[in-house]
Amino acid sequence: MPRYGMVIDLKRCYGCYACSMACKTANHTPPGVFWARVLMGEVGSYPNTVRQALPVLCMQCEEPSCMEVCPTGATQKRDDGIVIVEKEKCMGCKYCMMACPYGARYSVEEWESYFPDGLPLSQLEEFQKKAWEEKSGCGVATKCDFCLDRLAEGRLPSCVEACPAKARIFGDLDDPNSEPSILIKKERGQQLNPEFGNKPKVYYLPPR
Amino acid sequence: MDPKVNGQLQTEWGWLIAVYLFLGGVGGGAYTIAAINSFLGESMGLSTTVGLWIGFPALLIGSLFLIADLGSPSRAVLAAMKPRTSWIARGTLIISIFMILSFVHLVLHQFTAITGSIINIIAVLGIVFAIGTMAYTGILLGASKGIPFWRTGVVPVVFVVSATVTGHFAIMLGVTLFGGASAGLEPLQTMAAEATGLVVLEVLTILFFLQAAFRQPDPRESAERILRKRMFVWGYFILGLTVPLVLMIIIYRSSVALHGLAAIGALLGLMGGLILRQAVLVCGALPTLNIAGFEFRRIHRPKEPKPGIGMLPPQ
Repeated sequence: MPRYGMVIDLKRCYGCYACSMACKTANHTPPGVFWARVLMGEVGSYPNTVRQALPVLCMQCEEPSCMEVCPTGATQKRDDGIVIVEKEKCMGCKYCMMACPYGARYSVEEWESYFPDGLPLSQLEEFQKKAWEEKSGCGVATKCDFCLDRLAEGRLPSCVEACPAKARIFGDLDDPNSEPSILIKKERGQQLNPEFGNKPKVYYLPPR
Repeated sequence: MDPKVNGQLQTEWGWLIAVYLFLGGVGGGAYTIAAINSFLGESMGLSTTVGLWIGFPALLIGSLFLIADLGSPSRAVLAAMKPRTSWIARGTLIISIFMILSFVHLVLHQFTAITGSIINIIAVLGIVFAIGTMAYTGILLGASKGIPFWRTGVVPVVFVVSATVTGHFAIMLGVTLFGGASAGLEPLQTMAAEATGLVVLEVLTILFFLQAAFRQPDPRESAERILRKRMFVWGYFILGLTVPLVLMIIIYRSSVALHGLAAIGALLGLMGGLILRQAVLVCGALPTLNIAGFEFRRIHRPKEPKPGIGMLPPQ
């Protein structure tokens, strides 16, 4: 059984938000829900400043704090290490959202349109709403699951496929010959805020 | 809508959860004081009765607020089936047992002539679960890894102290409103003296909480935010703590029973307890993310409203 993980090369990421858009398209997430976010950071003071993009998604932690606090057992870790939410078991208490230090979880009362209130849903929106309700659901916790449905078809997560800079590398962390494993070892991959103690399976290669 | 940014305030838990935590605290505090008074004998009989009448209903109504906040309320029962999984599940169990005990105690006290060891056993067990309920409301927040402001370790202490204070004020309000002639000068002065001590203790606890928050960068920002909130400063610290403290001292030193002032002081104290919980909730923010010397957090910028139909260009 593989143990899926991701490497994000911060040298390559230039903050184009293609991953965010690809995720939204693939998962039909409503407004305000960003399973693949991009944060912008800054060091130095004017005029000697450097800006850096940081793509953030669910870290699929080895020790997920969201799972620890889930009162119904809806949040589970699969054998391949991907953390999932069983929407039929989730009661929507949002405690997992308070427990995730990476802010990777979202909950919406209902699927909303991007267009102004009061307009009827288009055919595409009707499809998106139905797809969201079937996969993720309203009134429950939702999060990135490394595009499980695409993995089942042998495809890469949508954010990985869409990245024009090839900054995202996905693979099996247990396989020492996989690209992510080699990159983590060779280029000193780091976890985000390891002091949280969640042991994320998303690694970052430091910027120059 | 902007994506979630670390450093921004949590918005998922608001007034409904604040009311739940508040009523849980009031119920636990009022019951604890009532049960302790029941051991002290008949002289405190009125406050025991009032406290028991507050404990169970407050918890029942509080639980309804929690259920109302759930995204899928029909699955609430699932939380009670896995008590070992999480603080919400443990809390559900603690509150459920406490509700049963407080209800039984109320019925035995009010509608039967049973006294002695049965009541005492129920009271002791009730006090244990009441303290558990009061502590749970703080531990629930303290166990949230994603909100550093709640994880300084002091929130459970603050909530236990505040629950005792609000429970005491709830009893005081009930006694002054429904006590009639039996709420004379001496009982009122005793309650005012107790309230004074408890409020002073709460002031010290709050100062300790804020001081602990100011020691670390992420909780510090939340502490600065809470101190910038008018609702917290005026609603809680001035009207909810300082004014009741002054009123309690006046009532204690007065030679006549000041029922009106006692009721006003108790009401303000209760309002303060609710505002405290709401402020602690809404000032909780996600931690800053760091990598390779870069800090990734909230950037201040005005929020753009979603355009209404009227804002679309003419067709």
